[in-house]
Amino acid sequence: MKQLFKEVHETWLATQFTGFMSQTQSRQKLYEFSNILFKHLTWLENDFIKNNTTYTYDIPQVPIKVTHLSHMLNNIIKRIESIESQLNSCKDEHITFRMASDLDYIKSVLVKLPEENVEKCFLAEKNYPNVELSDEARDALTIFLFEESYKEYELIMVYNYSKANSDNAFLNRIFQILIDESFFHLRSFGQMMAEMGILGVPRSLMEEIYKFDNLEQFLKDGIQEEIGAKEECKKLAAAVSESSEHFADFFTFINNQENYHIALMEEALEYINNK
Amino acid sequence: MTADAHLIEHMMNPKNYGNMENPDATGMGKNPQNGEKVAIYLKVDKQDDPLITDISFQAIGCTTTIVSGSIVTSEARDIHFSRAEELVSATLGLLENQSPEDAACTEMVALALKAALDTYNEKQKDPEFSMYSYHITTDCTPKEEENQEEEK
Repeated sequence: MKQLFKEVHETWLATQFTGFMSQTQSRQKLYEFSNILFKHLTWLENDFIKNNTTYTYDIPQVPIKVTHLSHMLNNIIKRIESIESQLNSCKDEHITFRMASDLDYIKSVLVKLPEENVEKCFLAEKNYPNVELSDEARDALTIFLFEESYKEYELIMVYNYSKANSDNAFLNRIFQILIDESFFHLRSFGQMMAEMGILGVPRSLMEEIYKFDNLEQFLKDGIQEEIGAKEECKKLAAAVSESSEHFADFFTFINNQENYHIALMEEALEYINNK
Repeated sequence: MTADAHLIEHMMNPKNYGNMENPDATGMGKNPQNGEKVAIYLKVDKQDDPLITDISFQAIGCTTTIVSGSIVTSEARDIHFSRAEELVSATLGLLENQSPEDAACTEMVALALKAALDTYNEKQKDPEFSMYSYHITTDCTPKEEENQEEEK
């Protein structure tokens, strides 16, 4: 079942990042399917926990550099077929029945999605449509997007692991909000990376990132990181403000959203300290 | 770090990134200032001058660390230890031309490779030996932050 878990994880990412490539209504379908695959991942994870089986989020790099959307759609269908062939490695028939039904439907839709040329998502031109950027601002934005897309993926997995391995309702509410927020940010940044031709799937996580011993320290470090991210957003908003009001507004918006994440982590920290 | 096409390719598709099952040696480079670290895993063909037949790395660090890891591990694949030692020295020799942040990341990768080579050699004498872990000496505090600290 560990191989099944790994392949569901890879397929979730492949589907999510294919969604970033699409410029049509297919994007929304791919987003919805990626949500379903992420849900499958959590079902399998809960089964591991229920059976006291150790597991990791270790996966190989997921290649996505293609010229046409159909290449990725075919790749996802092959991945799903491989998942289907391994479903019996999970002994919970309720889970595998639901997964089989979802996967069957996803395949039937994927095969009908229209073709799109997606070459520009990987051309590394670093231009954003209708936005004039200096070379310095363009480099800063490029590196910011790589850093932050990885960070959002990391946060999704860290909070998901914490949530899966905790039965504390108060903390799990906060973890779930932070997962949802990170999904929103990952999607915002992923779409920008595709526009700029620098789309890539984040690297896999080292085990110690999510299997930490000290939640209090993790939250304290997380607050500092969010403060650092706020500063980066402020700098980027200033760097692009002359050429794009829309862009500057976006980074101000992201900057202000970080305040909410900090407030949530502070709430969790206070709860732990008062326990 | 500038984001030229060559570096972006390493950001989009880092080479040799990931865990390795049953490596012959693992080495760690660490930045004690901020907790960032790089692990390098080796598969080695035992010879008088051992040959690196497979290499991978994982990191808790920034994009510069990933780019450095991708480049250095690509250079270190399929070379003998004597050449890998030269690669470590050459990489460490480049640090003075880099910004403090970039130099710290590059040093961490070079020291992780050095630690992996040393771990392999140590394991030949003591098979129970775990791994070497080296700390960087470069201060990665950006100059403007240093000035702010002094002003405080």
